[in-house]
This record gives sequence, structure tokens and C-alpha cells, in this order.
Amino acid sequence: MIGRPIRRKEAIMKARWIRWVVLLAALVPLAWAGGAATAEAQEKYVAYLSLADYTGPIAGLNVPADMGVEDFFKDLNERGGVDGVKVKFIGVDTRYDLARGVSAYKRYRKEPKLLVVNCISTPLGKAITPLTEKDNLVVIVPGDGEFQAKRGRVFTWGTCYQDAYAATMDWVLEDWKSKGKTGSPKVGYLLWDNPYGREPLRGGKEYMEKLGITLLPPEFFPPGALEHTVYLTRLAEAGADYIIIGGVDPTPSNILRDAHRLGLTKKIQFVDATFWGPDESVGIKANPEATEGAVICVYYLRGEEARNHPLGRRLWEKYRKKPFEEMGSTYATGMVWGMDMEAALKIALKEVGFDKLDGDAMYRAYQKLGGGDHRQGMTGNCTYGPESRRGSDMVKFYRVQKGKLVPITGWRKAPDAVSLHKF
Amino acid sequence: MWRPCGTFDETYAKDMAIVRTWRHWAALIAALLGLFLLPLWGPYYLVAFMNNLAVTIIAVLGLQIVSGYCGQISFGQAAFMAVGAYASAILTLKGGLSFWVALPLSGILTGLFGLIGGAPSLRIKGFYLAMATIAIHFVTMWLILHLDITGATGGLNPAPPSIGSYSFDTDERIYYIIVPVMLIMTCGARNLIRTRVGRAFVAIRDNDLAAQVMGVNLFYYKMLAFFISCVYAGIAGSLWAHMVQVVHPEQFTLLHALWYIGMLIVGGMGSIPGVFFGAIFIRILDELVLSVSPVLAGWFPWLGQAPAAALGVTAFGVVIVLFLIREPRGLAHRWEIIKASTRLYPFAH
Repeated sequence: MIGRPIRRKEAIMKARWIRWVVLLAALVPLAWAGGAATAEAQEKYVAYLSLADYTGPIAGLNVPADMGVEDFFKDLNERGGVDGVKVKFIGVDTRYDLARGVSAYKRYRKEPKLLVVNCISTPLGKAITPLTEKDNLVVIVPGDGEFQAKRGRVFTWGTCYQDAYAATMDWVLEDWKSKGKTGSPKVGYLLWDNPYGREPLRGGKEYMEKLGITLLPPEFFPPGALEHTVYLTRLAEAGADYIIIGGVDPTPSNILRDAHRLGLTKKIQFVDATFWGPDESVGIKANPEATEGAVICVYYLRGEEARNHPLGRRLWEKYRKKPFEEMGSTYATGMVWGMDMEAALKIALKEVGFDKLDGDAMYRAYQKLGGGDHRQGMTGNCTYGPESRRGSDMVKFYRVQKGKLVPITGWRKAPDAVSLHKF
Repeated sequence: MWRPCGTFDETYAKDMAIVRTWRHWAALIAALLGLFLLPLWGPYYLVAFMNNLAVTIIAVLGLQIVSGYCGQISFGQAAFMAVGAYASAILTLKGGLSFWVALPLSGILTGLFGLIGGAPSLRIKGFYLAMATIAIHFVTMWLILHLDITGATGGLNPAPPSIGSYSFDTDERIYYIIVPVMLIMTCGARNLIRTRVGRAFVAIRDNDLAAQVMGVNLFYYKMLAFFISCVYAGIAGSLWAHMVQVVHPEQFTLLHALWYIGMLIVGGMGSIPGVFFGAIFIRILDELVLSVSPVLAGWFPWLGQAPAAALGVTAFGVVIVLFLIREPRGLAHRWEIIKASTRLYPFAH
């Protein structure tokens, strides 16, 4: 009589544990299948690894960008690949966590024919560089000028941050003069307190000194901060004529929102100099009035220009099946990574064939991409070469007008500010 | 203490032993042998995973001492690990010291730094102490980001450990440093808890007022708990720094501290095996997500890579909630139940 409920309880507990064990047992072979790449055994595949932050502070950049590159590879594979060689896209969520990023790299570094690793994080790029050098792989990273200064196998996606910042300073001077003002403008700087936020000033600051532009004491705030009033007030009180902002949207749009509330957007010109600024589908949509008039410096097509690009339009229509207005700005950047990979793969296959294709061959091929038109106008140019790790040295300026990003300049050459800084 | 049927402790030494029966000895020797042979015959990825896991275990052991045993909730473990990593990198790069000297020194320096973290525990506890340790995390990271000696946003690049010309510069090589250190730290923690100090920690956790009435010096023991916990974090940070060869502020976020707390919850608060269960469970879960998400994206192309890869965060959240509801005492408690039921064999109850 006493034993029965106890035995029943035991039976229930056993059943629960059996369920757990079955669940885990089901997951293990699934994980095994992930590394085995069984489906690709019959076809020729090369791998592209994206170590991206899909759920952290720069997810706003990473998610649409990886959609772009994933769609590009899907399309490329449907077209038969490059001379029959298809590209396997592996996307890993690093959560902007370096330890996880390193761990993920170690998980996939032995993937058959892994040729390119995209590190959507500057510190992660630095952390895995010793490993990628050993593995002879090509690494692509956002825009850290240090990789240009100390040339290795790491290539930046486009223009280096400090070069774009220098181009922004040129634009600031032009704008200042076009308004009939004399003397030098006072420029404020408001960005994330992390390596990305500080990168533009490594060389950019030296360029400002060269131009004679006054840089007010820079203001930094933690990534993820939602309130910027105190920094904006300080910069306004210091007499800023221009304020350089940045961060992945919605950060720049939130800055503009706070500035608008303080009445600063009418008095001070805000310029986003680090590519990932107000997006029509995110920050501009949420704060149309506050973002109006803001200027953005970028190395790739934005707004209507990006959405009207024939390839971008076709891929979005084919794979995403959503209104074009929802296409994130960085979708175009993702396509550029795919275009570079395709072009480099063509060169490498021609030079060494599939059997001898490795990271070294791709490294040599990437250095031959400069001057090519494979990017189909998505960026101003491509400048990869033996002496250049820059993805481009051209930028373009857009202004937010009535909720749209309208180009206000054509492609223009960004000055070399990397060489002004001692890395 | 549970024993297999018919096994009795006949001497004081036997009563105090951690490894008690020949079966325990056999299992221990087999485990040590397995650990020793793993880099020689095991797959590379497993070795890299073990290194990462061992560093995590050391950090979480420290957290277990201060939070699980002494009851002082700390969200500062990631920041303390950062202090250890930077201390070790600075001592080797700028101080010219060998890794072998820098490793214990960075532990001690972090322990001393941790006394700052422990200071608020004298006046506040529970939720308020947790908030204070979060503040310490942010202050520490701010300092690291703004001091020249830490390399500011550029970080530092410590060299791998070496003995003469032999460099521990691969995962397989540094494994032979990290795993033994982890084992030593585990033995240290296991024994600490059985001493007068360990009992004082538990007394403070269970009821600090009663402990004080019984003569436990709260000031001394709370500070000691933070010191020891931070020594563990410092050692873990130092090992991490020389393993990855990069020290950067973005390596030690508040999210890491949350993960460590999550490991304690899953493994079981107040249990040394719980640290192992929690760390292994969470790390394996994390690695499973890394491996499973590309497969899922392949099976369900409409899902895309990004949403599939982001399942990790969801999985972590779900696991923590499930454990809080279904097994609040953690996997260690479940392990004790399993052990107890096997030891009773052949009797039913």
C-alpha cells in the first residue's frame, strides 16, 4: 500500500529522464550531420564562413547583410556555380561574443574547402588572425585601417573607416564654404565607446589637423545606450557646427531623435561617417522628422539606388518575397561579399583548378580583384591588390530628404588617412 | 555520506577521503588517462572545446565559492576574469615576466582587486549586492577601455606560454597547461569547502546573522570568499589570454557573467560537481546550436541562416527557465539521486 505511490513516482521520473535522453540523442546525430556535409559529397563545393552577430548590438547590420550574401550564393548555385563549383554558406551567430566567435571558427576551420571567413567584428578579426594565417585563409572584416597598415590575409569590405572620415572632413569644408562661412568649422564627434567607435579618429584626427578643422573633445557612449542628451548638450555648448555620428542603425537615428528634441538638428549639421547610419527601413521610418537633413557617407549604394539595382531587386524578389521598402541597406553590402568571392573563385579555379584550390590560391586571387567591374556598380570601385587590403577607396554622400536617402554627390575618392596614423 | 552497500569507513582517513573505493580509483585513473590521451588521439575540435570548457569551469568554480557556498551573488565574474587576463598580458608583455610567474601573480592581483568587489557585501546583500557587482563590472570595463597600459580599444596580444624554445602555441599543446590547472583548482575548491573556512561560508549563506552569533567573522569571511573567487577568475582570465593570444575589452561582457550564473543554476548552486554539470551542459548546448543551425537552415531554406543561427539565445533562455521550474536544485541534485539509487542496489529503498 505504501510502496505503490513511491513506485509510481519513480516510474514517472524514469519516463521523464527517458524523454530527456531521447531528445539529446536526437540532437547529437543532427549536429554530426552539420559537420559531415553529406549532401554536398557528390557535388563540388567550397565553403564561406560568416561569423556574424545575429542577436547582439550590430545585428542591424549583420542580418540584412548576410541575407544579401546568402541570397547571392543561392542564386549563384542555381546558375550552376563557378565552373560547376558551388558555394556553401555557413552562418554562425557569434552574439558579438569573441569567445564564441573563436570557438565557432575552430568548429568550422576544418570544413572541406573553406576559403573565406567573414568576421563581422573588428576584435574577432584580430583574434582569429593568428589561426587564419596558419590555415592560409582569406578573412574579410568591416573597415579597420590597421589591416591595411599591417598587410596580411585580412581584407576590409570597403573603404577604411579613417579614410571615409577624412572624406567626410573634405565634405564638411566644402559645405562650410558653400554656406559662405569663413574660418574653420568646429566638429563634434559622438560614437560608440569601442574599437569601432574610435577607429575613424586613428588617422582621421591627423587628417583634421592637416585641414585645420577643430575637433571638439570626442564623446563616446556605450553600445546599446538609448539616451544621448548629455553628450549632445555638451557638444552644442562647445559650439559644434557639425557633429559626426555613427553606430549601427537605430543608434544614429536615436542620436538624431534626441538632437531633434533638443532643437539641435536645425542648428547643427549631423553627418554619419561610418557607413551603417540611418536606414530607411529602420531609423528613418521611426523618426522621419528628426532624421531629415542628416548626411551619410558610405562606400556602397544606399536607399532607392540600392533597391533599384537590377541584381539586388531580382534577388530580393526571388528569395525574400517582401516589399522592397523592407530591404535593409546592408543587403547590398552582403551582395558585394558574394560578388568578390565569385570573382576570386573564377580567378583561382582558372589558375590552380578545383583539386588544388585552397586559401592560398584565394588569397592570390583576392589581390587580383582590384580594378574589376565584378561589383556591378554596387560600390564605387574595388581596390584589392598586392599593396591594398582596402575593398574600395571611393565614397558617396546621401542626405535624408522626406524620409528617403537622396544622393548629394557622385562617387569620390577618399583620402588615405590610414597612412597618417602610426599603428 | 552515501556508500555502496556493505562499505564502511573504518578509519578517520577513510572518512575524510574524497576517493573512497577501488571503483572510484579506477574511474579516476581512467578519466585522467582519457584526459591525457585526448590531444594525442582525439579530434582537434574536441581539444579546442575542452580548453574553452576548462577555462570556463575555473571561472565558474570561483563563482560557486562566492555565490553558491557563501551566498554572495556576483555578476562581476567576467570583469574579474578580464582583470586576470589583462594583468597576465601586462606582466608578460610590459613587465617581461614569464607566463609561469604571471599566472599565479595575475590570480593574486585579481583577488586583491576583487576585495573592492567584496566591500559592498558587508553592508548589502541579495539583489542590492548583485546590482553593486554589475556596477563594478562596468567600472572595470570602463577603466580597461580608457587606460593606456591596457592598450585601450586596441587590446593586447600576449604570447603563448613556453618552456625554453618549446611554445604552447596550439590548442593541443596548451591543453596540457589548461586542463591540469583546472584539475588542481577543482581539488582546491573541493577541499576548501570541507575546511573550517568552507563551513563558515555555508553558515553565512544559510543565515549570516546566526553565523555571526556563532562567532563567524562576517567581514573576514565575506572578503575571503570574494578574494578566492577572484583568484579563480584571474587564473581563468590569464589562461584564456595566453590561449587566444588576444585580450580585448569586448571579450568580457556582462552577458558572460550571466552565462556563468546560468551555469550555476543549471548545474546546481553549492556543489562542485554542479559546476562541471552546468558548464558542460551549457557549453555543449552552445556547440550543438553552432552545429545544428546550418543544418536547420539547409532543411528549411525559407528560415534562412540568421534566424536558425540565432536559436542559441532562445535555447539558452528556454533551458534556464525549464531548470528553474523543473529542477531548481540543478543537475548535481539529479546526479545525487541517481547515485543514491544505484548505491542502494540490490535493495529497493
